[in-house]
Amino acid sequence: MEHFLNFNVITFLLQNLNETFPCVRLLNATHQIGCQSSFGGDVGVVHLLESEENLDWVLSSGPNPPYMVILESTLFTRYSQCSRVAGVVVVEPTTNPPDGFSPHTSCPNENMGVYSESYGPSYAHCNVTVWNPLGNGLSYEEFDFPIFSMKDSNDTEVIRRCYREHNRAVNGSTPQYPLCAMQLFSHMSAVTDTATCMRRSEIPFSLTPEFVCDPLGDENIWASTKPLNNTAKGHKEGESVVIAAVKMDSRSFFFGLAPGADSTATGLVALLAAANALRNATAELNRTILYTFFHGETFDYIGSSRMVYDMENNQFPLDLDNVHSILEVGQVALGSNSRLWLHSDPVSRRNRSVNKLVSNLHLAAAGLNISLEEPNVTQPLPPSSFQRFLRVRSIPGVVIENHQASFTNKYYQSIFDNAESLQLNYSPNLTAEEQLEFVTDAAKNLTEVATAVARGLYLQAGGHPAGMNTVQADSKLVRPLDWKRNSGYTWIKRLKIKKQSSDGDVSTFSSEDKPTKFYIGVDQEMSEPNFMVQTILANLTGTIVNVTKENCQKQKEDEEDNRNKHLYYYQWVQGPLRPNSTERDSFCVRSTVRKSPAKSPAFVLREYTSKDYSTWTESRWKTITGRIFLVASHDLEMLTLGVGVAVLLVSLLLTYFVSSKADILFSSGREPTNATY
Amino acid sequence: MNLERLPNEEKLILCRKYYLGGFAFLPFLWLVNVVWFFREAFVKPAYTEQLQIKAYVKWSAVGLLFWVAVLTTWITIFQHFRAQWGEVGDSLSFTIPLGTP
Repeated sequence: MEHFLNFNVITFLLQNLNETFPCVRLLNATHQIGCQSSFGGDVGVVHLLESEENLDWVLSSGPNPPYMVILESTLFTRYSQCSRVAGVVVVEPTTNPPDGFSPHTSCPNENMGVYSESYGPSYAHCNVTVWNPLGNGLSYEEFDFPIFSMKDSNDTEVIRRCYREHNRAVNGSTPQYPLCAMQLFSHMSAVTDTATCMRRSEIPFSLTPEFVCDPLGDENIWASTKPLNNTAKGHKEGESVVIAAVKMDSRSFFFGLAPGADSTATGLVALLAAANALRNATAELNRTILYTFFHGETFDYIGSSRMVYDMENNQFPLDLDNVHSILEVGQVALGSNSRLWLHSDPVSRRNRSVNKLVSNLHLAAAGLNISLEEPNVTQPLPPSSFQRFLRVRSIPGVVIENHQASFTNKYYQSIFDNAESLQLNYSPNLTAEEQLEFVTDAAKNLTEVATAVARGLYLQAGGHPAGMNTVQADSKLVRPLDWKRNSGYTWIKRLKIKKQSSDGDVSTFSSEDKPTKFYIGVDQEMSEPNFMVQTILANLTGTIVNVTKENCQKQKEDEEDNRNKHLYYYQWVQGPLRPNSTERDSFCVRSTVRKSPAKSPAFVLREYTSKDYSTWTESRWKTITGRIFLVASHDLEMLTLGVGVAVLLVSLLLTYFVSSKADILFSSGREPTNATY
Repeated sequence: MNLERLPNEEKLILCRKYYLGGFAFLPFLWLVNVVWFFREAFVKPAYTEQLQIKAYVKWSAVGLLFWVAVLTTWITIFQHFRAQWGEVGDSLSFTIPLGTP
């Protein structure tokens, strides 16, 4: 209705909202979660929720429902499916809620881990430890109204002013029309569950062939300390690898916001720094270390389940027989007591090689400012990629975390899991450039963690304890891998890695001042962490070789070389700026960095109701936008409509009257008209 | 075509054609037949061919009602249960509106 009445009933104030992050629809084998508007967008009278009491206005007493609720604080912890709410806009708070907030479930990846009725049934469903006790599960609820998040900006100021001028009830009076209203569009194409939306995307004879959803997926990144032939898949004779695993994705309630500082970035940075520390120390080791960065672990272990599946089906350069042990790095932001916990699986723990790994790690941490301890032996593993390996084989492994039992991270998989939550305090009088040079306590701590991980891997791969002390992570390296307050992870500023586009030229990396978006996204698009980890890992573990640009891009060292492409990956990158110049040096980096698919085996097997593999898909949509306008009262709308209808009827009558009397009205003396038709 | 100007035998031939054509799963021919020849069959003063025209129109009407009943029942059932039928429902659909179960 707003569309054709807008010439006098509606005044537009803002046509397109900037910097909004919607909550979108995701689907799995059994459920749909997330939010959506109706097809034509949902309209409601703006109501700024300043305090909890204000909620009654929206839910019962307000005279002009439905309302578009603007949340300014962190009240967003409870909800109700209520017809009086047209939608919700959350203005991102500038400070984190002190009591913690996690929209994830209290038992992450509950049904896809190793513990089930057939494996340690007493540990299944977080029976022993509830890992994320603050988790309220909001991210996994279904909402039938749109929910958007907005950065505090000019747009939010427009909304506030509009509300104050038109909608605020003064001294208990009801606000008068015209009222400030808002319309949000986030209609989702997919519905019900993954089986339904995948089926509809694949309908062969449809009048309107259209994809409605896409599987979540991307790529795992891995690199080995010894080059492995990537072309020959399956078992490698005589090869024994220690897997150093970490996850590289996160999520939040909103699409496009996934800061994952503690939950993802700490482990990621620690392992990258450890890989760099081991760069020159792995030549004499008799085992190979395989750094693996699993993608999509947040969504029922997409990356790790696919790698295990590939190893089982000889689609990976190694198979499970080649895996010696696994060391996984989880959330490792250190608290004040500098303690880390070595979690292991109580079911396979009887295996003596786990004890060997644990003692190696203890040895590795000796002399460092951190202490490694073990939680109670009856405690199961926390949510981790390692669980997916245990599902198929009892490989010895340990997961390093900063929590003994429940997560110490109060903001697990929320928009508040950011730099602030890690207490990265910079002195306010530092410039942006100085902040990058400054090593925070958190960065120092993380360097210690990285060193411990590196030394642990060194020992586990057969290194002699005497040689261990030369393995030292570089705090100068962790620092640029550090995160700036309010701007997330600006790793790139120091490393100056530039993306190489398909035409061979270099283009810039993603904009520098936004926090990294750790959401995995759909499988057709490359996500941010994928490219970031790939390039940084290549730079930290690889070597610069003297190869021309053309050969480098063709994966060869010289014209006749067609062997090295099986062993190495060549990447043409730009280095830092030359002093006193705007030019950059370009060079070819040779590394063992490889990618492997991180798309759930459920989509390979086309088992969309799988209970063993992740089935998460993301709905497609056409438009996600919002607008603000002044809306007239319902009476005025009806009056306008009534007048319009009356005018139509009158004109019809008039036309009929005129045409029936046409011979009289239009008769001229000269030429009588023939009225018989 | 103006029926008024047609000789009676021609009318009968036309009416029969529409009646027989309807059996090729074309109930709209029967609808046209009923509407078009209703006046000829039931209102006009009697003539030789009228009896046959009357029969064709009557049976066209019966056939039409049958189709209406069948289609109404099927459409009601289909719209009501399409979402529940899941895969069967989707494969029976020609076009599925986005975002509906």
